[in-house]
Amino acid sequence: MVDKQGEGARGQPATSAWSVPTGRRTDEWSQCVVRIAEHRDRAAFAKFFSHFAPLIKAFALSGSSLSAAHADELVQEVMLKVWQKAAGFNPEKAAASTWVYTIARNCRTDMFRRLQKFDTQLEAEDIGFELEGDEPTMALHASRGAVRVRELMSDLPQDQAQILAKVYMEGKSHSETAAELGLPLGTVKSRVRLAIQKLQVFMDAGWEE
Amino acid sequence: MVKHHPDTNTLLEFAASALPAAQSVVVSTHLQFCSECRQRLSQLESLGATMFEDAEPVDINPSLFDNVLARLDEVQEDRAANDANASPMSWTVKQIRKGNLDELQWKKVTRSLRIADLGDIDGAAEFSLYHIAEGGRIPQHNHSGTEMTLVLQGGFSDETGSYHAGDFITREAGDIHAPTALPGGDCICLAVLESPLRFTHWHHRWLSPLLQLRAG
Ligand SMILES: [Zn+2]
Repeated sequence: MVDKQGEGARGQPATSAWSVPTGRRTDEWSQCVVRIAEHRDRAAFAKFFSHFAPLIKAFALSGSSLSAAHADELVQEVMLKVWQKAAGFNPEKAAASTWVYTIARNCRTDMFRRLQKFDTQLEAEDIGFELEGDEPTMALHASRGAVRVRELMSDLPQDQAQILAKVYMEGKSHSETAAELGLPLGTVKSRVRLAIQKLQVFMDAGWEE
Repeated sequence: MVKHHPDTNTLLEFAASALPAAQSVVVSTHLQFCSECRQRLSQLESLGATMFEDAEPVDINPSLFDNVLARLDEVQEDRAANDANASPMSWTVKQIRKGNLDELQWKKVTRSLRIADLGDIDGAAEFSLYHIAEGGRIPQHNHSGTEMTLVLQGGFSDETGSYHAGDFITREAGDIHAPTALPGGDCICLAVLESPLRFTHWHHRWLSPLLQLRAG
């Protein structure tokens, strides 16, 4: 059974770590992944599962993009990858939540491709890019920015937030988003740029177009 | 020093895995050249992660955890099997990412132009490598859809400016240009021309059978 207790407020487990500007991350989810990597710790894995599996399922079901059965399959695939790839996780370079998000995103893309029966067989790992966190300022931006980004995102106008959610949570392109919302493509693109401009100040100064 | 980058919309679609496969290959190859865009990608991914973390959790059947536990030890074998079964396009993409361009099939088009057609890939009408001999010129042409180009080696110039290794250039439908390779060496570019059926690309094509499945 999965231990469902003691996780604190959902989505905020790492509050203290977010405000630490540099150095090794000490949030509990990063610690979980390190324990999985170093000790093949199944209790840590169970704890990680109990927090993230319901979020992965929510991600899978966003915009009805997958059936319930496929969503369960996705949860399993992502958690198997967490077990398999834990040794490659570097808590100094990335937050565990970002790491698991990118795994879920890649697994979902692979599942979309499998279900679609594409002529072109490609894995998300072929066409994506795995960041290694080699930029000296990356960890700094990632940690300092995160807490502000969350605040700013809740302040975004609904029409911008809705589009970001469609692209990120549902994996839809700008043109698909435009078609679904009955908006011109140019409007979708400019709303995305407006939203990112508002967030960019807190992420980086180097975002000129 | 890379001067031309994917715009925010393109990089955000890439970060969300919402960009078609061919365009994703061009963007990810640019990222190998460009630490600035790697940093922007890191930020855009953390934005996605923030939304992911704040999603409303959906209950999980407890048996799912037991299923995962039972499968923990089979993972490595699966991975080995996948590597052995890599598809031709997967192989092609790996050669581009590694810079093994001589491994690909090149065809001579003119005295100064060779093209490697990289094959069919979703989201693209054309997906190719161009090899322009030093000083050589591609005949003037226009596009039926958006074209993304990445300079892999050397450089070229056209009516809009000069571009060098790592530069990422977007041309909109209707733009006309005639690129000429810069002096100093041959120029190799990776280019993808958007499919004219952009609105029916993979996500939509995939959705319709699912809807039928659910109705039934
Ligand atoms: Zn760049």
